[in-house]
Amino acid sequence: MTELAWGAEAWSEVRASLDRCIKCTVCETACPVAAVTELFPGPKTVGPQAERFRTGGQSPDLSVDYCSGCGICSRVCPQDVRIAELNSRARSELKRERGAPLRDQLVARPGLLGRAGRPVAPLFNWAMANSLIRWAGERTIGIHRKAPVPRSTTRTFSYWVGHHVGTRSARRVVYFHGCSTQWYEPHVGQKVTAILEHNGYQVVIPKQDCCGLPLQSNGLFPAARKAVTRLARQLVPDGTSDLPVIASSTSCGLMLKREAREILGADSPELRSVSQRTYDIFEFLLELHQRGELRTDFKPVPLTVAYHAPCQQQNQLIGKPALEILRLIPGLRLVELDRSCCGIAGTYGVKREKYEIAMRVGEPLFADIQAEGPDLVACDSETCRWQISAATGATSVHPLEILHRAYGGS
Amino acid sequence: MNALDTDVLVIGGGSTGAGVAWDSALRGLHVTLVDRQDFATGTSGRFHGLLHSGGRYAVKDPGSARECAAENRILRQVAADCLEDTGGLFVSTPEDDLEYADRFLAAARAAGMEIEEVPVGVALRDEPRLNPKIRRAFRVQDGSIDSWKMISALLRGAQAHGAKVLPYHKVVKVIRQGDRVEGAVMEDQRTGEEVRVNAGCVVNAAGAWSGQVAQLAGCEVGVRPGKGVMVAINHRLARAVLNRCHLPSDGDIIVPVRTVSVIGTTDHPVADPDDTECSPEEVHQMIEAGELLVPGFKESRALRVWSGSRPLLPKTEGAAGAGDREVSRSHTVLDHGARDGLEGLVTIAGGKFTTLRLMAEDTVDVVVRKLGRGAECRTRTEVLPGSESHHFYWIGNRQQEAESDPPDDPLICECELVSQHDLDTVVARRPNWRLDDIRRALRVGMGPCQGGFCAFRVAGMLHQEGRYGRAEANSALREFVQERWKGVKVISWGAQARQTRLDRWIFEGVYDLEHLPE
Amino acid sequence: MGTDAVVLGAGTAGMVAALRLAAAGASVLVLAEGEGGLPLAPAQIDVLGYRPQLILDPLGELGGFLESRPDHPYRLIEAEEVGASLEWFLELSAPLGYTGSPHLNRLQPTALGALRPTCLVPETMAAGDLSGGGSVLVVGLRGFRDFHAPLLAENLSLAHPPSGAEVRARSVEVSLLGDPRDLRPQLLARRLEERPVLAELGREIRSRLEQEELVGMPAVLGLERSHEAWQRLQELVGRPVFEIPTPPPSQPGQRLQQHLFRALRRLGGEVRLGVRATGYRRAGDRLMAVRVVTAAREVEIPADHFVLATGGIGTGGITAGADGELREEVFGARVSRGGAPDQPLVEYMATQPLDRLGVEVDQEQRPLGAGGEPLFQNLWAAGAALAGAEPWREKSGEGISLATGYRAARLAGGARA
Ligand SMILES: Cc1cc2nc3c(=O)[nH]c(=O)nc-3n(C[C@H](O)[C@H](O)[C@H](O)COP(=O)(O)OP(=O)(O)OC[C@H]3O[C@@H](n4cnc5c(N)ncnc54)[C@H](O)[C@@H]3O)c2cc1C
Ligand SMILES: Cc1cc2nc3c(=O)[nH]c(=O)nc-3n(C[C@H](O)[C@H](O)[C@H](O)COP(=O)(O)OP(=O)(O)OC[C@H]3O[C@@H](n4cnc5c(N)ncnc54)[C@H](O)[C@@H]3O)c2cc1C
Ligand code: SF4
Ligand code: SF4
Ligand code: SF4
Repeated sequence: MTELAWGAEAWSEVRASLDRCIKCTVCETACPVAAVTELFPGPKTVGPQAERFRTGGQSPDLSVDYCSGCGICSRVCPQDVRIAELNSRARSELKRERGAPLRDQLVARPGLLGRAGRPVAPLFNWAMANSLIRWAGERTIGIHRKAPVPRSTTRTFSYWVGHHVGTRSARRVVYFHGCSTQWYEPHVGQKVTAILEHNGYQVVIPKQDCCGLPLQSNGLFPAARKAVTRLARQLVPDGTSDLPVIASSTSCGLMLKREAREILGADSPELRSVSQRTYDIFEFLLELHQRGELRTDFKPVPLTVAYHAPCQQQNQLIGKPALEILRLIPGLRLVELDRSCCGIAGTYGVKREKYEIAMRVGEPLFADIQAEGPDLVACDSETCRWQISAATGATSVHPLEILHRAYGGS
Repeated sequence: MNALDTDVLVIGGGSTGAGVAWDSALRGLHVTLVDRQDFATGTSGRFHGLLHSGGRYAVKDPGSARECAAENRILRQVAADCLEDTGGLFVSTPEDDLEYADRFLAAARAAGMEIEEVPVGVALRDEPRLNPKIRRAFRVQDGSIDSWKMISALLRGAQAHGAKVLPYHKVVKVIRQGDRVEGAVMEDQRTGEEVRVNAGCVVNAAGAWSGQVAQLAGCEVGVRPGKGVMVAINHRLARAVLNRCHLPSDGDIIVPVRTVSVIGTTDHPVADPDDTECSPEEVHQMIEAGELLVPGFKESRALRVWSGSRPLLPKTEGAAGAGDREVSRSHTVLDHGARDGLEGLVTIAGGKFTTLRLMAEDTVDVVVRKLGRGAECRTRTEVLPGSESHHFYWIGNRQQEAESDPPDDPLICECELVSQHDLDTVVARRPNWRLDDIRRALRVGMGPCQGGFCAFRVAGMLHQEGRYGRAEANSALREFVQERWKGVKVISWGAQARQTRLDRWIFEGVYDLEHLPE
Repeated sequence: MGTDAVVLGAGTAGMVAALRLAAAGASVLVLAEGEGGLPLAPAQIDVLGYRPQLILDPLGELGGFLESRPDHPYRLIEAEEVGASLEWFLELSAPLGYTGSPHLNRLQPTALGALRPTCLVPETMAAGDLSGGGSVLVVGLRGFRDFHAPLLAENLSLAHPPSGAEVRARSVEVSLLGDPRDLRPQLLARRLEERPVLAELGREIRSRLEQEELVGMPAVLGLERSHEAWQRLQELVGRPVFEIPTPPPSQPGQRLQQHLFRALRRLGGEVRLGVRATGYRRAGDRLMAVRVVTAAREVEIPADHFVLATGGIGTGGITAGADGELREEVFGARVSRGGAPDQPLVEYMATQPLDRLGVEVDQEQRPLGAGGEPLFQNLWAAGAALAGAEPWREKSGEGISLATGYRAARLAGGARA
């Protein structure tokens, strides 16, 4: 019954970090959710503070469910308290414990949706109709493989891989493409492969399953642990145990890099090894560039592109490598959007009781985009992209697509 | 001088005195209870917090073990709201003799304890921070006691039966008429006024101070104060009470009490029970000892340090003053009539928090005999106010309540989740609260931030409500800061040192408390 | 492509060093475990306020102060350069309307009503200098738990500025936003940027004003649009309005921090938060790279120049172990108690063992190694990381950070050229 809070290996690290909280309130000033709603008491309160009242078994607090998991608090905390990670564990525990009734309880709290009285329905409905959301919902209950593939994608990424004749090279990388590329955006994976091959790499693309992130966020920790451990195994096909593992999905990459160990408490030799070797695609390209190995045979891209670094990418603590790479492209007018969060945070912003909050969180970002009026918005995370597009009407792409174009792709 | 008449005057508002008041009141006697300070500020507010299963005494002192086991069971029935059912483990660490474990198990069974050996793997699954090198583990019925809750429930119960309670009333004189004690004179520590209480019988329940009180009556009671040091760690490292399975020694128990884990304790004889200084050596001894039960204990954040004084009676006292049935291994009722030829005075000494009920029963039995009045003891079955539903309190309670609080009830202390409504409620119950009393009652300022945020809020709010004058509010703040420093100055390392730095910035930087007018 | 300067720490000291370096044309990367003291601090720039008696001319009295405190970080810097750093700051922070003179302390009320010396303040606090006396209406907001107007006003009425002028204060409490719910500072500040809310507040205050010349209120007057909020409120009230710092979080501190972060970005610099520096690589007497922790692994970040502005014990730049060990976390630089006693004193309001803790540096602000030699030729320390100060008592926090951060950049820049 107390599997999560007390059983996981990660217990000591994440929970013990609460000792370092000195209640300084720095995190409270940075949390984008607490800034827009009274319903969320803020990271200090639901994180290190509430954790002292949790002992496993029964969750004493519901409001932690309003945490979007954006991770900003953990980044600004001067004392290295793993606030977002604490929240993530508590949120999952809550979901595991209460399941759907939790949603109902939250919705039933007075004033929740009515307060601001802004028209939200059309957008919300659009979001629900969007296949990506449905995909997320389906993944959540673990049936995505049997679920009908949405019409927008007739061929999965692995189908493409099966027909792709890659270049052979002594320099090899493993590509971890993640579910969204597999089922919904195979073109992202094709472009990643093309870019890496263009730079002289042989891209090893093993058969791979889900990293378990959706299971984790729904509190199904043992299943999530199993999934990520299996994935780690899949990512070490024979003779690749020292190759870089390249990820193009920011949240799934972060899962492999850190969350699997830190939040789930998963552990296996393969996971430890893969975790150490995982690179965000742009992080990898930037390192190439720093060694003078990146091909810079760029064609001009005469566009204005506004770049938003999504939270899960920022949480990898690698700066904004996409920005630095895109800066090399001639003709490109690059605008750095200096806002922390678009609000969507995975599937947070599509839930009925969170939609309003998410839109308010994203408001400053949306306003900047609208003021700038770029040709394209670039953002590394798929859910952020459609949040941005839905809210602003701007076309949004993965920054890779711009790089691909600069390399002469279409 | 004001004068009051009462059947029983109880001196001391710790667990023992409060228990005696509750017991007497239930027997239809009129009780007046006094304490020189606030209630639960003596040893009872400074103890380790353990509801003993009896395990600690099983091998060395089977009588005490049996008492603890029995009283533990009763308290669970009548005082659930004051207890947390944490459960407990006795574990054999690599330094503990495995043969002791066998003796321990047999002795525990003989003492009537509920005990069960559990596989090491199970213990480690339940308590991931427990030393993985333990070799045996036994599950027992330990729990933790919220002293404030327990004592205030006892006193509220007594008051509901007509008792009168007077905090901050220090006994300065015991009134003797020949070889009879007829009452005592108290000095109100806040106003300096004196109050006289005439009593049919006086019960000296002044714990480690009972020697001092007896002296006022002209008797000698040989209590020897034994100081014990405890260190609170910022959060719960374990769900259950963790005990080393060996002959009792220093620092071998970690008790999850409310939001913290408390390691204790030591035992050093001291001359004065008011000597509460904790030396860095004692603190380090505790921290090191914790490592054995929970590896990494040293890296955890020490939150505060304090000490309490055991009211220990030399073995000879038990025999000397005893009637036939009042003697027990762990506590002694001294009937000064039989012992010193001084009627009207009874001293209860020794004992434990866990056995407070039995101690009270034994004491009041003597009182009733002396007064020739009073009914049978009812405390075995009478449920304390607040415990009617028989729910143990749960660490998550406050968090859950804070969640359901109306939004216009701001939290004052965020660490311990105290709201303005909570503050108003306790302050309304009794005027003249000092900031430090409020701290004890509500745990305001007892969390990690050590009052950095909440002390200012409480002082400001009480001033605004007219309960504090300006100068009073200022000095309350100063006192509070000073008092907190006392508990942290010897553990200023790690996160607590950082906390101290932030608090310095708040108190001296932001408020400039140092240059505030008097 | 390489980075010219890496600054460790994003507090005042680190940001000042970074801004100065970036302004001089360097490419700068600020790496920090988290944010520094700024979002908590009142954003009043203290230079020196007590020695221990009240100081009115901080720059003028610096020399005298140092005679009794030879270990103090100000010993490293000429008064002139301290002055120059303050002048530079006034210019840099003109958008926040900072005012004041390095030669004249102001006396501003605290949340408890003490009159506290400080040097430079943002425009929203400018009218709160009561050195020359004044009569103040202190406005509390019902439901805001971090400001208690009656206590503040009563204490303030007893304040005696050295000018001998009289301070009078009266308090009122205003209900805002319809109900007295828990007004959290972050939300409150944003709500006060809304015109209808401000109008309501202005009306309320105006109707309660009597003879008072000034209006003081908690420092929650907006975050991004504080200038407009403050100005509008003054218009509505018809009196100068000033903010009084609250306990953390601090809106004025956040405004200043945002301003500094943005100014650096405009100069092409980057602030990367959430990364802890854990070690380094050296070559001879030069520091080549710092090691930082990312989500997946430790990586090296190379640069030519480095500034250590990790803030001392408060932010974990220096740690104290249970066994009494004191450690500078990144480079293992020598740590000093700065003249503080090694046993705790009973009296809280005294200099305690860890109060003046910091790294030891040479005259050039270079941290020393165990042998007393500078650790590296190209590493300079600044701010609260330096030993010897007790800024909350002597009122010198931001002043030290400004001056030493400014100087560290000059020294690094000199080395560059
Ligand atoms: C370090 C330590 C740890 C312990 N841990 C545990 C444990 O985990 N579990 C357990 O069951 N037991 C424990 N005990 C034992 C238990 O705490 C005590 O036996 C019990 O609290 C004693 O209560 P009391 O009421 O007798 O004494 P106290 O609580 O000390 O009460 C005596 C009261 O008398 C008052 N007084 C003194 N002089 C005067 C006067 N002149 N006029 C008026 N009032 C006066 C004092 O202010 C005080 O409040 C521990 C004891 C110590 C020392
Ligand atoms: C509550 C409060 C009130 C204050 N009030 C005032 C006031 O009224 N007037 C005044 O003048 N000053 C005040 N100050 C002081 C002032 O705000 C600054 O704290 C001071 O100037 C020190 O700044 P700093 O940059 O040296 O250090 P800090 O602000 O402490 O910054 C240290 C930085 O180093 C980072 N860091 C630490 N270790 C590492 C590591 N290993 N790797 C990477 N990064 C690391 C931290 O994350 C942080 O970014 C106050 C401070 C506080 C906290
Ligand atoms: S920023 Fe870190 S230390 Fe500060 S309150 Fe939040 S969790 Fe605690
Ligand atoms: S993760 Fe994001 S939403 Fe959650 S508490 Fe932290 S900052 Fe707020
Ligand atoms: S959606 Fe986008 S920006 Fe927003 S939470 Fe994620 S990652 Fe942050």
